[in-house]
Amino acid sequence: MRKFGFLLLFIVVHKSFSQESDFKNINFSRADLIAKTYQSKNLNDLNKLTSNLTKKLDTDVEKFRAIYIWITHNIANDFRLYAKNHRKRKRFKNDSIKLEKWNSRFKNILFKKLLKRKRTICTGYAYLLKEMCATVGIKSIMVNGSGRTSTMDVEDLAYANHTWNLVKLNNKWYLCDPTWSTGISYPEDGKFIFNYDNGYFLTEPKIFFFNHFPVVPEHSLLAPNMPSFNEFVEKPVLYAKGYTILSDHISPKKMYHEVRRNEEFTFQYLLKKEIDLKKVKFVFTNNVSEKTVKPMVSLNDSLLTLKHTFKKRGFYDVHFYLDNDIIATYTFKILK
Amino acid sequence: MKTTNTITLQKSSFTFLSLVFAFFFFSSVAQAQEITVKGIVKGNVETEIEPLMEATVYLKGTNYATTTNKKGEFTFPKKLKKGDILVFTYLGYLKKQIKINEKSSFMTVVLEEESIEMLGALNSNKRYKSKRPKQ
Repeated sequence: MRKFGFLLLFIVVHKSFSQESDFKNINFSRADLIAKTYQSKNLNDLNKLTSNLTKKLDTDVEKFRAIYIWITHNIANDFRLYAKNHRKRKRFKNDSIKLEKWNSRFKNILFKKLLKRKRTICTGYAYLLKEMCATVGIKSIMVNGSGRTSTMDVEDLAYANHTWNLVKLNNKWYLCDPTWSTGISYPEDGKFIFNYDNGYFLTEPKIFFFNHFPVVPEHSLLAPNMPSFNEFVEKPVLYAKGYTILSDHISPKKMYHEVRRNEEFTFQYLLKKEIDLKKVKFVFTNNVSEKTVKPMVSLNDSLLTLKHTFKKRGFYDVHFYLDNDIIATYTFKILK
Repeated sequence: MKTTNTITLQKSSFTFLSLVFAFFFFSSVAQAQEITVKGIVKGNVETEIEPLMEATVYLKGTNYATTTNKKGEFTFPKKLKKGDILVFTYLGYLKKQIKINEKSSFMTVVLEEESIEMLGALNSNKRYKSKRPKQ
């Protein structure tokens, strides 16, 4: 009986952490192949497009996968539209009539561009995903909220700036962010590069929350324990690669730390796949210099613990890297 | 006396029945008649109602579909019969389904805007850099 109880506990705990891994036994290669080879010049016939993508697939999760992969490999980010919308929304922030009028006009421009040129911004991605899912009977909803990246400050997060999706598969809700899965924009260089990131596909809610604060708490899938907005803003910066290798970021909970010299500091993570521990490193940066440091690394099952003792006074940005991929950033003030 | 009465009654009921039968027969012929459906699709753009270009019109449950031209007009490529359902879609507008009847040879369809807040945040993989306090 006790054994059984333990097993049950294990299943429950396991379930609450796993997301994409819920579908471990399903091979996505067929769905991926269909989605990656299917060409469509425009989106005029969404019904036919979706039907062609999904008709040879049996399960809802495979159908969803084909739709998701198609969108993220075919729809480009339009940062010009993004910039224009951002400017106007900021300007009309306190004028709801003008904001609504702008929203309606912009919506029209945006959907025309999506249909014809296959370019859009977040809401366009989320909308397209929702619509395509609906034509094959999969329920998906659009979630508005604050999306946080390394280049934003608190002011940028004060109002909703991003849209992502919840999708219901086998009677369970999952999170995904089709916009950020697609690639990265480089507005300074005027370009967008397709670079599919699987980290935002059916992500663990705890990890997803690092960069996604929904307007409606239930949409976080963490309710009733969703952290507050202040806790969200104070979290460490987590990068895309973190989504791929972590299933939880346990500690520290905050970005900013004040620590005494020669005091040991502990970082803890839950891994979702094996990594090469030799490639774990910290990079310390301040205004003038950059230094690579090897922390003390230990691994217990999937619990990764990093320890470091700061020797020198000063103010540092501490970046956690796995080889050349940045995972997270913290800031430290080291006192005497 | 009584018997004749029944006979007349049977006679009239027979006429009635055949009439009913004829009615159904002809109306089913009428039902089977196929109609070419033309129309125009509009939607509200800001506060005006304007034609929607490239709205999709499809026959429910099939892959028969067409899109509207610059003026929002369409001619459905397949002849339809009474009871068929046409679905009108356009991104950003609520889907509309319309059942075909005898009067459906020309239809004006107005789609309603779906209320969506248009948002967008760019993804970034740039390394975070602290803004240094002035010392």
